[in-house]
Amino acid sequence: MTEQHILRAFDRDLEAIQAQLMKMGGLVENAILEAASALEARDEELAEKVRAGDRAIDAMEERINDEVARLIALRSPTATDLRMVLSVMKIAGSLERIGDYAKNMAKRTVVLGRMPTVGSAGGSLRRMAKAVVAMLSDALDAHVQRDAELARDVLNRDREVDQMYNALFREFLTHMMEDPRNITACMHLHFIAKNVERMGDHATTIAEQVIYLVTGHLPEDDRPKAESVTDHGTDGGRP
Amino acid sequence: MKEKDGMNVMRESAADIAAASVKIAARGVQVFYGDTHAIKDVDVDIADRTVTAFIGPSGCGKSTFLRCLNRMNDTIDICRVEGRITLDGEDIYDRRVDPVQLRAKVGMVFQKPNPFPKSIYDNVAYGPRIHGLTRNRAELDEVVEQSLRRAALWNEVKDRLQAPGTGLSGGQQQRLCIARAIATSPEVLLMDEPCSALDPIATAQVEELIDELRANFSVVIVTHSMQQAARVSQNTAFFHLGNLVEYGQTAQIFTTPRDPRTESYISGRIG
Repeated sequence: MTEQHILRAFDRDLEAIQAQLMKMGGLVENAILEAASALEARDEELAEKVRAGDRAIDAMEERINDEVARLIALRSPTATDLRMVLSVMKIAGSLERIGDYAKNMAKRTVVLGRMPTVGSAGGSLRRMAKAVVAMLSDALDAHVQRDAELARDVLNRDREVDQMYNALFREFLTHMMEDPRNITACMHLHFIAKNVERMGDHATTIAEQVIYLVTGHLPEDDRPKAESVTDHGTDGGRP
Repeated sequence: MKEKDGMNVMRESAADIAAASVKIAARGVQVFYGDTHAIKDVDVDIADRTVTAFIGPSGCGKSTFLRCLNRMNDTIDICRVEGRITLDGEDIYDRRVDPVQLRAKVGMVFQKPNPFPKSIYDNVAYGPRIHGLTRNRAELDEVVEQSLRRAALWNEVKDRLQAPGTGLSGGQQQRLCIARAIATSPEVLLMDEPCSALDPIATAQVEELIDELRANFSVVIVTHSMQQAARVSQNTAFFHLGNLVEYGQTAQIFTTPRDPRTESYISGRIG
């Protein structure tokens, strides 16, 4: 909708919540990248910064929810306006969850810093985090531009993240079987990998909200799925 | 899955409205006031026991179309109606149809409460009397009480039925007019902005009443308040410049309208 409302304050309110959502998205993207860098570089200080920064993300979500409630109460949005407002609230919720995962990554980074390194998982996790940030960034751009095509592209890319997670899962199993002293570190790394994989899921939830915003309904669930680690049983694929 | 089913209900369209029992069917309706083409080729099915809202900007033809449904436009000399409108399959513009009898079946409530300068009792008894619907005083008393009860007014006026109807408050007067309209046991109730002269409390009472009336009548309401249409109706028709632009379930119209003109209008944009 490029047309303006007769009541221009309504347009200003909508623009304001959109801007706040993008600001929150920026904070979350940054948190992921910094958490991944901190992990790879074993940078405790940066990890602490990510942990502390989560408070600002939580506060943004609260502010967005307040603004959305106010807008619904005062402006009674309908049609695209209503879907826009609802999608902002849901996306803010997803962003907040992603922020929590980044914080959890940072916490585990601090613990891992006091253990010997295991394999080269830090680099793989950073690549995975970068892929998730790219998905998230495109999903948020798609929201601003009302671009359902770009959102669908994000949905399809989640499969790559799932594949990276599956590869890491097998790698960690191997390290743990090689030497039981790796188990603690590998468990932490595995939780981190799982967190990043969950971030990808939230990015797809955001993309689905964009499709809802543009078309009025959620996409049918027919996107490709990577084969799951649970398809292999729990014996670590022992022959 | 529950959530998904809910969404699907909202996605149902005009096709599902047609599938419900149709009370009034309009086909190719055109209305002219002299040279002005006020209604352009409107097809619509009004479902029975349902509230249907007509919305649209001023001058879009929604009231004109409403007035076609009980031939109120007959009273305007320069007005000409073409096309076919049927009530339960019978053409209401047929030569043999008596408009007065038709209006007993298709009642109407207007924008401003317009009680007769008579007692509350006589306001409600007027229709049954002129149509000879009751045989004696006891029956008439019964009809008056039932109508006032259905209009949610009985408890407020039962002790002063002989007081003048014009002495009631605005909201009570409008409910009295609704009682008067339903006293002749109509099948359809047309309401032309019935709440525009009422305060929010009286509006809420009339809206509650409309929701109850739906159990027995087919209600068609013209309203300038989109929120009112959203609150009281199951189906909504959007008129613009004499055209019926979009007709569908109210929830669909207000969340995912198909036509950009509907979207512009209901979201308060310049259309």
